[in-house]
Formats: sequence, C-alpha cells, structure tokens
Amino acid sequence: MVLGLLTLAFAGLAAAFLTDSWGYPAPRPQIPLVDKALLDPATVRRSYRDLIKAKEDLSDFDCYGCHEKGHPPPLRYDENHKLIVPTEHSDVVMGHGTHGRNNNCFNCHNENNLTTLQPRDGRELRLEDSTELCGSCHGPTYRDWDSGAHGRINGYWNTKLGPAVKKDCVNCHNPHSPRFPGRKPLPGPHPLRAPGVSEPTAETTSH
Amino acid sequence: MPPTVPTDPLAAAAADAGMSRRSFLRTSAVLATGLAAVAASLKPLFEMEDITSAEQFMQKYYKELTPEDMKKVLARVEREVEKQYGIRPHVRDLKPMDGVEFAYALNLSRCIGCRKCVHACVAENNQSRNPEIQYIRVLKMPHGTFDVEKGDHYYATEKVPEKGFFYMPIQCQQCHNPPCVKVCPVHATWQETDGITVIDYDWCIGCRYCEAACPYWARRFNFTKPSIPADRINPNMSYLGNRPRRQGVMEKCHFCVQRTRDGRYPACLEVCPTGSRKFGNILDPESEISQILRTKRVFMQLKEDVGTNPRFFYYFDV
Amino acid sequence: MITAARNYLVFLRRCARIAFVGDWRYYTWMGVLTVVALFGLNAYAKQFAHGLIVTGMSDEVSWGVYIANFTFLVGVAAAAVMMVIPVYIYDNEELHDLVIFGELLAVAAIIMCLMFVTVDLGRPDRFWHLIPGIGQFNFPASMLSWDVIVLNGYLLLNVHICGYLLYSRYRGVKPGKWFYIPFVFVAIFWAVSIHTVTAFLYVGLGGRPFWNSSIVGPRFLASAFTAGPALIILALQVIRRVTHYHITDKALLTLRAIVQVSMLINVFLLVNEVFKEFYSGNLHVISSRYLFLGLHGHHALVPWIWSAITLNLIAMVILVLPLSRSLKYLNVACVLSIVGIWIEKGMGLVIPGFIPTPLGAVVEYTPSLNETLVCFGIWAFGLLCYTIFLRMSVPILQGRLAKANEGISEPGPDDVVEDTPAPSHS
Repeated sequence: MVLGLLTLAFAGLAAAFLTDSWGYPAPRPQIPLVDKALLDPATVRRSYRDLIKAKEDLSDFDCYGCHEKGHPPPLRYDENHKLIVPTEHSDVVMGHGTHGRNNNCFNCHNENNLTTLQPRDGRELRLEDSTELCGSCHGPTYRDWDSGAHGRINGYWNTKLGPAVKKDCVNCHNPHSPRFPGRKPLPGPHPLRAPGVSEPTAETTSH
Repeated sequence: MPPTVPTDPLAAAAADAGMSRRSFLRTSAVLATGLAAVAASLKPLFEMEDITSAEQFMQKYYKELTPEDMKKVLARVEREVEKQYGIRPHVRDLKPMDGVEFAYALNLSRCIGCRKCVHACVAENNQSRNPEIQYIRVLKMPHGTFDVEKGDHYYATEKVPEKGFFYMPIQCQQCHNPPCVKVCPVHATWQETDGITVIDYDWCIGCRYCEAACPYWARRFNFTKPSIPADRINPNMSYLGNRPRRQGVMEKCHFCVQRTRDGRYPACLEVCPTGSRKFGNILDPESEISQILRTKRVFMQLKEDVGTNPRFFYYFDV
Repeated sequence: MITAARNYLVFLRRCARIAFVGDWRYYTWMGVLTVVALFGLNAYAKQFAHGLIVTGMSDEVSWGVYIANFTFLVGVAAAAVMMVIPVYIYDNEELHDLVIFGELLAVAAIIMCLMFVTVDLGRPDRFWHLIPGIGQFNFPASMLSWDVIVLNGYLLLNVHICGYLLYSRYRGVKPGKWFYIPFVFVAIFWAVSIHTVTAFLYVGLGGRPFWNSSIVGPRFLASAFTAGPALIILALQVIRRVTHYHITDKALLTLRAIVQVSMLINVFLLVNEVFKEFYSGNLHVISSRYLFLGLHGHHALVPWIWSAITLNLIAMVILVLPLSRSLKYLNVACVLSIVGIWIEKGMGLVIPGFIPTPLGAVVEYTPSLNETLVCFGIWAFGLLCYTIFLRMSVPILQGRLAKANEGISEPGPDDVVEDTPAPSHS
C-alpha cells in the first residue's frame, strides 16, 4: 500500500521535474545600453591650442577680417551699465564674475591687438596661452591647476611611458561664462532586486 | 518487505531476503521510479551554458602559476573570450611596478554627479550589463552631512548638480588594511605591492564573505552568467583586471590594472568632465596625488573609524 | 586484523540493511522526506545551472536563509554538549543512555550545516580550493577557515564517539575508556568553539555595526543551548513513542532545567543588546531600527522579530512555571522556543546585518521559492539521516542488533519503528 503510493509519488515527481516551470530565474527587465558617445573622454570645449594642433580652420579668430587695425572697437553699455554685446558676437554670453563687475571686453582682450590677450601686468599673450591670463586673476586656482589638483590631465600618469596631456582652463570653462554648465546625469543603477528608496532627505524628490 | 529509499540500490538485500515475487516487484517499482525521480530532478543541469572544462577545473592558484603556466592560461582565456564573443582579445598578466604605490583622490568640491565615471568603468572593465554590475556608486548627499544613509543612490534629475547637494562617488577604496582580504577563506583576493587589491576570478569560490566584510560595499557578485554585448567588449584585458568573469565569482574596482600598470590613468578619471578625479604614484613626491595630499588642508578617508586606511581620499578646494 | 575489518563490514552491512526495514509508518515518513529532499535536489540543480540569481539574494543582501539556517543548525549541533556535560561531568544516570541520541543529532545537524554552506557557494565546483594542502587555506586569518576546521572536526569527533560506542555495544564489549572519554571532553570544548567561531564570523566584521558586538557570541551560545536541548526533548519523546526505548520522564525534566536556564539567559542577553542599541541612540542603531521598527517604510522583518520575541517570552514563562513539569506544556514551550530562536537567529541576525547596506541603501530580502525548496530539501535530508541513525542505534542499544545474533535474525518491522523529532519548523 505505502509502497504503491510511493511508486506513484516518485513517478509523479519525475514527471513534474521533467515538465516543471518553477524556480527558474525570473525574466529581467531590459536595461538600455548607454550611448557610447556619452563615454567619450573628450573635454567639453576645445581650446585654441587644440584647434591649432588639429590644423583646423582658424578663420573665426581672424579678428582683423572685420575689425580695423588701430581702431579699438567701442564698447556700449545699457542703463544698468551692462555691456551690450554686438550682434556679430551674439554667441558670447557675458557671465564672467559676479555682480557684473567683469563687463569690459578689454579686461582680457588686447584692444590694441585683438588677436592677443592682455593680463593686468601689461604682458601680451597669445590666444593659446589663455591659461596664463586666467591665472593672473585666479591665483589659488592657477596654483592648484599647476600642481595638478585642479583641472584635467589625461593620458599617462607615468610620463616615462607616455604623455600626460594637461588641459587648459578653456577646455572646460567658457571664458565669457566660466561656470561649469549643468548636465543630464547618466542613468542610475538598476539593482537586481527592487530597491527601497533611500531616505527622502530634505528636498530629494528626484524620482 | 524491504526498500524504500530509492537512492540506494538494494536489489541484493531484496534478493536474499527470500521474499515473494510480488513484494520484489513492488520494491523494484519503488526503486525504479525513485531513481527516475532522482535523474529527472537533475534535469536543470542540462541547461547549463557555461560548463567548467577540465582545464578550468584544474586551474592552479595565480601565485602558483609558473610563467609557462601563465602563458597557457592567458591563451586559454583568449580562446574562451573569442569563442564566446567573437573577438580576439589581448590578455596580459601585468605585474605591479617597482617603486609605485597607487592612490586616488576625488575632489568633492568639483564632482557634479554626472555618473560618466560609472559607465566608463563598466565599458572599460567588461562588466555585466544585465544583471547590471557597476563598481562605482555615486551618492547624492545633502549639504552638511557625511552620513551615507542620507545619500540618494538613484537620483535621475534633468540636470546635475542640484542646489543644496554634493555628490560622492564611492568605489573600492584599496585599503591598506583590507577586511575583504582578511576574511577570504581561500586567498582568492589579496593586496599587491602597488596597493591594488585584486581577485583571482578563477580561484574565488563565491562565498561572498568579502562582500559582507567590505565597509564600502565595493564588491560585486555574479549572481548569474554575466551578459555583455559583443560590440561592447573591451579587448585590452588583463588577468587580474577586466577579463570577462564567470558566474558565481566576485569582482570589484581594481584601479583599471590593465591601464594603470601600463602607465595610463584609470578609465573613470579619463572621462571625468570636471577633473575631480586624481590618480597617481604616491611614492613620487612630484605626482599630482602627492601634491594634493601634501598641500590640501582638508581631505579624508571614508569611514576612517573602521580602521581600513583607504588609499582613496576625498578632498576639497581649500 | 582482516577478521576485525570483516567483522566491522558485517556490522556496517547489517546497519545499512536495517535502515531499509520498517513498518508502514516508517516507510511513509521516509518516503515523504525523500520526496521533499528530491524537491530540494531539483531546486539546487536549477541554482547550480543558473546561479544564485534564483535565490532572493542580491549584492545588497548577500547572505540569506542558507546562512541563517546554517547558523541555527550550528547551534543545534553545539547543544549536544548539554547532554554530555551532565552525563560525563555530573554523572547523571537518567541521561546516560540517551546522550548518544544527542550526539547523533549533532552529527545530523553538522551534515545539514555543511550542506547549507555548500549551497551558498557561487562556485561549488571549486570547493577543493578550501582543502589544506591542495588548495589555499587562509588560516588563521579568515574566520571561515576556522569554521571549516571546527565543523569538520566536530563531525569527526561525534562520528567517532557514536560509532565507537555503538560498535562496542554491538559486539557486547565494554567500551575502552581511553578510546572515547578523552574525545568526549574534547568534544565539549569543541562544541562551544563551533558556535563561538560561527559567531566570530559575524562579530569580526568592523564594517557591519549590527554584528560587530561582543555579545553576539554569548547570545549564540545561550540560544543554542535553549533550542538544541528543546529539540532533543521532542526527539526523545518521539523515540520513546515509536520504539519502546526506555526513556524516563526524569531525564526529560533534567533537560527541561537546561532549557529553562538557557532561555532565561538568552532573553536577558537580548534585553542587554536592545538596550545598548536603542538607548545610546548613535547612528549604528540603524539596522536594529530596521529590524524592530522598520526603516523608511520598509518593515519586512518587523513581524518576524516580534513574533520571535513573543514566542521566546511565552516559552520562557511556561518554562519557569512549575506547569512545564507536565510534558504537554513542556512540549509547547519547546516548540515555541525552537521556532522563536530559529526566527531570531535566522531572519533576525543574518539579514538585518545587510540592511541598510554600508552605503545606506535599503534593499529588502525575501527568500525565493527555489531557495525555500533547497532549504526544505536539506532539512528533509538531515531528518532522513537522523532517522536512519536512530533506526540503527536503537536496536543496537536495546541489544536486538548484536554480534550475538548475527545471521540469526534481523530486527524486523514488527518489533519497532523509529520516528524523528517533530518536524516543527524547517
């Protein structure tokens, strides 16, 4: 009797195992792949130095194609003493320095030779040496950049094995509006098991 | 009157018990169905995709491999990757360099939480895309605290950085005193002379004790066979680094040994748009990492109180 | 020498044969256990093929019910000493002939422990990496390597003690004191060590404040010495019922005294822990808060821990009252404390250690169906082993299976049948 039942039970079990559907990994939701372009280590901007190196068209920097030598262009201001950017330079957004204090093109550009830059000390710098110009005001940041604590260095940490490429200020910062722009973050993690939302701190409502 | 337990062939016992034909038949029926049930219960084994070959099973421990052994092992790994992904990789066994000890520093004043490091790391290190394995977790932290429990792991705002928050990426801290190495029962993870804690993926037994021991939640386990699209494979591989892993083993950040032992920067640093990530040889006083640790007034090790003494530092622009 | 070996083989053969002989109740019980064990085997085959993804574990909660059961069963195994100590140190007469049942339970429990650890491995095919000599054994640094040693050592000790005593009884000779008494005393210390080492497995992790507490070891022992003897009380009654083996109420009441005291200490230590966690109110309380009160709307474990505490408290009250001198109430108290301690140590100790993660993420854990089937399978297999051990040992102890009656008669199904402890939880 018991043996008969057991025979049946085992036979049933064998059949169940052969046709089973339980216990298998649950189908996982698709996780979209991240666009490879977003993983490009290139800097946000290209510096004049990069353009020279890449032998690219530099006609945009040919100031005297439009301006006249020996005649510094006049600057015009509105009633709030805000610089009026001429339409020819509408790509320039003036946003350097707080409280509108840095509102004079010739704080940095050389009015007597528009193809160069002029720091306060009276030197004349080439466009590709713009970092020196930045350093003339931003002392501590320049110091950090110089030591490697600020800014980007790419390539080789071991310079015996390859070059370390130190990026310039303008590779990341727009000199006319240097605040680093915000951007959309890449996708967050997709944990294997449904996560609990971590502490909804202060105004964290980012879901 | 005998048998029941089918796993044990008791035909002999049945025979010499001198029992009747009928009971013998009944017993045999139980035995036969029982054995059939055992066999049927093992059916899922035929679904295995990644069967361990004899060569893999007999694979020796990393530190016991002779250079000739290593050559064979690297060739095997290359063969396996090519078979699976259709790409011939270049797998090397890169050793630590003399006079080099790596350290990492991350500028919390600059990080904007864009997660480019997370995904560049995934791409560089051939991490599984689904289920997803990532070595770097970026926490969005409210101003004024270092309590990770207040951090948000899953932020998905339109724009970062958000006002009122800072961002703290966390990955393996490459501790001087790594709890994961201490607890591993089979020496499958150890610290090398350049400070990188590595894993022999072919030696790990998958007990996950290291995962429990790590105070930084830096270790990841392959809960199933990793899946990587063939066109995403990074063919520049190293044995202790980014070669594809198998089901059931641990992995974690190894400071991109395949890059850094070649003199290059790790992938997470290369891609960082803000230059918040700094890496180098701390034994070289002129390296940027040495300069940072020498000149920055405030820098810290995460969870300093657990005594792990990380080689990963967080610093600020002061 | 050859005759000795031959004799021993005959003994083993007769033991093996008797394991397959019994009445319909025996067959039913063994059949049911076999079916459950096969479900477990099938579930494990799925896990082996597809990986631990078929469990409920994740990188966040990287240990689950496997390790929880392991921890509980180490306690059960260690508790065998609570029968050994009265007998060998205090010469307790009542327990003298029963101590072997406790030791056999320890053997079965250790077998289950080893199985639970094995099913938890991501790469069981590499288990040989753990074997000293051919593998790489991180001793003494890794607590897991200590655990491998103490568990296997304890298994060997108990197999030796039980095997030797039973074989002596079978041959009808008095066991040589030097062949087992030293081992018994080593086993007493060893039993404490297996549970202490298992506690150290958790205690040693500085990055997990919930476990990183020196009271975990003592709590482990206290709860083990409660749940283990409670299980033995139930097992002995089942043996008495189905085999007519002579077991006095006095013996059961001796064990009651042990369960009573251990339970009091267990609850006392729990109070200590809860006080320290919640009164000091530092940030490390977070896992305890998750366990006892829930965290950010997550409270999967809250009902479990409070039922465990309730069960333990009721059991404690019953045990302390004279009421529990009646076996009926004693049994209730035993079942309550076994279930309570299983929850407290399994769900209550292992899992909250992972929640939240060291980076503050809260991901909850629920065992999957497949994982549960593997657990049931291992428990069934363990009970199967224990039943077989009892099926062999009871006739030997009763003298019905002895060298004297070799070739004359096998204790048949009509004589007696064993059953096993209450399948109260698994």
